[in-house]
Amino acid sequence: MGNRMNLVGGLFGAGFGFVLAAARLHEYDTIHETLKFESPYVFGLMGFAIGISLPLLWILERRQVETVYGGRLTLSRSRIERHHIVGGALFGAGWSIAGTCPAPALAMLSSGATYGAVAVVGLFIGLWLRDRQVAAGATTPSIGDGEHRDLRTTPLGS
Amino acid sequence: MNVLPDQLPFWIAGPLLGLLVVGLFVVANQPLGASGAYLQTMKAAKGDTDTVSWRVWYFGGIFVGGALATILGPGIEIRRGYDAMSNAGWSPIFIAIVVLAGAIVMGYGARMAGGCTSGHGICGTAQRSPASWASTATFMATAVVVTGILTLLTGGDL
Repeated sequence: MGNRMNLVGGLFGAGFGFVLAAARLHEYDTIHETLKFESPYVFGLMGFAIGISLPLLWILERRQVETVYGGRLTLSRSRIERHHIVGGALFGAGWSIAGTCPAPALAMLSSGATYGAVAVVGLFIGLWLRDRQVAAGATTPSIGDGEHRDLRTTPLGS
Repeated sequence: MNVLPDQLPFWIAGPLLGLLVVGLFVVANQPLGASGAYLQTMKAAKGDTDTVSWRVWYFGGIFVGGALATILGPGIEIRRGYDAMSNAGWSPIFIAIVVLAGAIVMGYGARMAGGCTSGHGICGTAQRSPASWASTATFMATAVVVTGILTLLTGGDL
């Protein structure tokens, strides 16, 4: 399934990037107008995205749907820990200052805004810095419920 | 080409994102988080053998999808980006430093929290994860506060 999964990944990425750019979420102004409460755009977009996906996933989970490549659908729900809050606060500060987040930064760059590359490089540096701390044993790795999971080894919540 | 409207309404873009989230769960039993794709891309660049290759395709897909939407919309225009900062009278070097610093904090925070706006903000919340809801509420609130501080410090320029 290796090659087919690569195609699936590429297509979902392309769909994601397409919607982000069509929503102008890769523009500094779109983000900041929402964060200054001048426009409801980003709140509305996230609200509608969750409003559609949360109930659908709930129904699919209850029906114990078999996914195409990943076995039975499993949602993961972790308990709140300190790093979720501290990390979230740092992320929010960076999001506001850089005016973009990880996926829109890529769409910013591919729309022709060269400083999108600065944001992408900064993101890589930040992730790497944290990973280095984890590797040095200073802290434990955080596996988020919304990021890639190893379906063979990761025990999924509840 | 201006086939697309200037900006998709959030009540169209949001549900489309929600369907992409549900779609990737149904196909691969995986969330649509972006910061995890950065991690896999970094692993691929280092030549790690346990790299999840489809996440790298997904990363590239976001870039390509963003370009596609831009071509169908206003068209790709090579520019710096961050007009709001230029209009505030900031030099290109200073803008690059601010964006880089913001992105580093953002990347570090995302890795610490275990997700970003897509990972925790949409995919985690849609799975009804308490950790994701807490992280999302934190980064939203922090971003609003930091944006308010930026606006104050720049006399309303940002």
